[in-house]
Amino acid sequence: MGIFFDLIIGGFAIGACYALVALSMVIIYKTSEVPNFAQGEMAMVATFVAFSMIQSYGIGFWTTAAITIVFSFLLGCALELAFLRPAKDPTVLGLIVITLGAEMILYGIAGWKWGANQNPFPVPFSEYSGIMVSGVMITEINIWTFVTSVIMMFLLFLFFRYTKVGVAMKAVQQNAFAARAMGIPTRRILTFTWGLSSVTGAVAGMLIAPIATLDPNMMLDPMMKGFAAAVLGGMTSLPGAAIGGYLLGLIENFFGGYVSLEFKSVVAFAVIVLILCVKPSGLFVKHYEKKV
Amino acid sequence: MRKVLWLTLCLSLCLMVSAGALMAAEKVRGVTDTEILVGQWGPQTGPAALWGAVARGTGVLFELVNSEGGIHGRKIKYFLRDDSYQPAKTKAIGKEFIEDIGVFAVVGGVGTSCGMAVRDDLMKNKVIWVAPSTGSTHWIDPFQKYLFAVYPLYIHEAYLLTQYATETMGKKKIAFFYQNDDYGKQGLEGAQKYAKEKGIKLVAEVPVEVTDTDLKSHALKMKEAGADAVILWILPKHAAIILGTSKAMGFSPQWISSTTLSDSELMFNITKGLWKDVVYANFLNQQSLDRLKKYMDATEKFAPQEKYRGIFFQAGFLFAEPFLEGLRRAGKDLNPDSFVKAMESIQRWNDWLGHDLTYSPTERQGMKSVYLAKCGDDGKPIKISDWLTYAGK
Repeated sequence: MGIFFDLIIGGFAIGACYALVALSMVIIYKTSEVPNFAQGEMAMVATFVAFSMIQSYGIGFWTTAAITIVFSFLLGCALELAFLRPAKDPTVLGLIVITLGAEMILYGIAGWKWGANQNPFPVPFSEYSGIMVSGVMITEINIWTFVTSVIMMFLLFLFFRYTKVGVAMKAVQQNAFAARAMGIPTRRILTFTWGLSSVTGAVAGMLIAPIATLDPNMMLDPMMKGFAAAVLGGMTSLPGAAIGGYLLGLIENFFGGYVSLEFKSVVAFAVIVLILCVKPSGLFVKHYEKKV
Repeated sequence: MRKVLWLTLCLSLCLMVSAGALMAAEKVRGVTDTEILVGQWGPQTGPAALWGAVARGTGVLFELVNSEGGIHGRKIKYFLRDDSYQPAKTKAIGKEFIEDIGVFAVVGGVGTSCGMAVRDDLMKNKVIWVAPSTGSTHWIDPFQKYLFAVYPLYIHEAYLLTQYATETMGKKKIAFFYQNDDYGKQGLEGAQKYAKEKGIKLVAEVPVEVTDTDLKSHALKMKEAGADAVILWILPKHAAIILGTSKAMGFSPQWISSTTLSDSELMFNITKGLWKDVVYANFLNQQSLDRLKKYMDATEKFAPQEKYRGIFFQAGFLFAEPFLEGLRRAGKDLNPDSFVKAMESIQRWNDWLGHDLTYSPTERQGMKSVYLAKCGDDGKPIKISDWLTYAGK
C-alpha cells in the first residue's frame, strides 16, 4: 500500500509541474491557436536569471521570485514583439516554426551565458522534509508546487472569466477580425498573452529547478510532458490542461511503478497519439467545428 | 631521330608517374612537416555537457605542447566539435574529420553510442583513435589495429565496485541504477558478472532514460527491493535527482558510483551536499601534483575563460597523454603504422596522470586499474583504496 500512496504523491508532485507548463502553453494557444515550443526555454532563461540574482547578487528568494516574474513578463512580451509581430500574414505552421526558432535562440543564449553544466537552485523550502501521511513523506516543495499550480489555475480562471482583458483574449482567439472590429487592440492583447504565459512558465521553472537541477536542458522533458498534458486535457481549456497535467503525472508514475520503467517516458507520447485519435479536442473540451 | 624522341618522351612520362606515385605514398593524411591534425568530439551542449569538458582539457594540453615546440618539430592542430551527445551528429563529425579536414588521429571522444557511430568509419580509413572517453568493450572487441583504449572497462569497474560493496563494506542487497543504453548496460554487466560468480543476485536493476527528470518510481523500485547499496551508472543530472528524490522518501542506501561521476566537488555542489560519503571509482591520479599543477597553469594561460576545471576537464589531459607519448616514440617518420608500432612499445608506463599503461600487438586496453575514493566534507575526495585491478578475464 505504501508504494501506492508514494506513487500518488509522486504523480501529483510532477503532475503539478506539468500542469503549470500546460497552463502556460494553453494561455498562448487560447489566443493565437499556436503551440509555443519556446515555452520551456522561456521558463529556463527566467529561472537562470533568478539563479544569477540569488547566487551572484545574494538577493533573497522571494524578492528574486518577484523580480523574475516581472522579467519573465517582459521576456514574453519582447519575444512576441521581436519574433511574431514582424511576421506578415503568417500561417499557423509559420508561427510554430518561429517559436521553434525562438527556442533555439534562447537555448543558445543560456548555454553561452550560464554554461551547460548543472547548477543547484536554492529555495527556502525543503526538498527532503515535510509532512508524513500514512508513512509517505510529502515534502515542502511538493506542497508548494501543488498549491502554486492550483492557485495559478484559479487566478487564471478568474482572469479569463471576469476581467476585460481576459474576455478580450478569448475574443481574439475566437475571431480576431471581429474582435478588432469591436475595438479590441488585438496586437496588444497578443503581446500581453505572451507575457502572461511566460510568467506561468517561469513559476514552473522555479519549482522544477530545485528537483531537476538547473541547466539549459532542464525544461526539455517537462515541456514535452506539459504539451502532452495540454493535449490530454484540451488545448483551449485552462482547467482541462491543469487536470491533464495531474493525470499525466499519475499515469506516468503508475506505469513506471507497476508496468515498466523503460517505457515510462513513452506513455506521455502514447497519450498524445491516443487522444488525438479518439478525442482531438482533449478530454475536457467540447469538440466544435468552426462554421463559415 | 624520331625514335629517340619517342623513347625520351616515354621515359620522362614513366619517371613522372613513378615520382607522383612515390610522393602520394609518402603523403600521410593529417601529417605535414610542421603539423599534425587531430580531432575530438564532445558534448558542449545537451544533457551530457559536463563531460564535454574532456575535449577542452585536451585542447589545453595540445596548446601547452605546441608552446614547447611541438613534437619532432610538428605542432598539433586541434579540431573540437560539439555533438551534443547525439550519435547522429557524431557520425557527421566523423565524416568531416575523415573527408573534409583529413585528420591523422582522433583523441578522446565522449559517449559509447557516439563513438560506435563512427568507429568503423575511422578504422576503415586508418584514422588513429586514442582514448575514447568511455569504458566500453566496443573499443577492444573486436580487435582494432588503429584504436588504443585508455579508459578502464566499465565491466571491470562495476565488477570491482560490486566486489568492494559486498566484501569490504559488507552490503548484502545491492541495486543497480543505470542509463538505458550501452554505457549503463556495460556497467550492469560487470555487476551481474560479480553477482553470478558469488552466487548472489542484484536486488534491483533499474534503468533510466537520458531525458527523464521524474525519478520517483525509479527510487521506489530500489526502496521496495530493500537495497542497502545502490551502484549508479548514470548522468550527473540523474545522480542529483535520484539522491534528492530518495532522501525525500526516506531511502538512504550507500550510494556508489562509476568514474563518470567522480568529480566529487561538483557532485557535492549540485546535490546540495547529498553527495557526502558517496563512494566512487576514479582513474585520474590526483597525487601527481606537479604534473597537474603544470597543466592547470597552462589552462590559466591558454584558456583563462574556462569556467569548469574539475576532474572531467582534467581527464582531457589524461586521455591525450598516451597519444603524445605515441607521437614521441614514433619519431619523425610519422604514419599510422609507425604510430601503432610506437604505441605497442608502451609497457607499464607511469609518466602520466594514469596508471600502468600497457599495449602490445595483441593488447589494446591500455589501463586496467581504478582506485576508490569517498566524498568528504565540502566535496573533498578521500582516497580509500589503492589501485585495484580486475583479476579475471
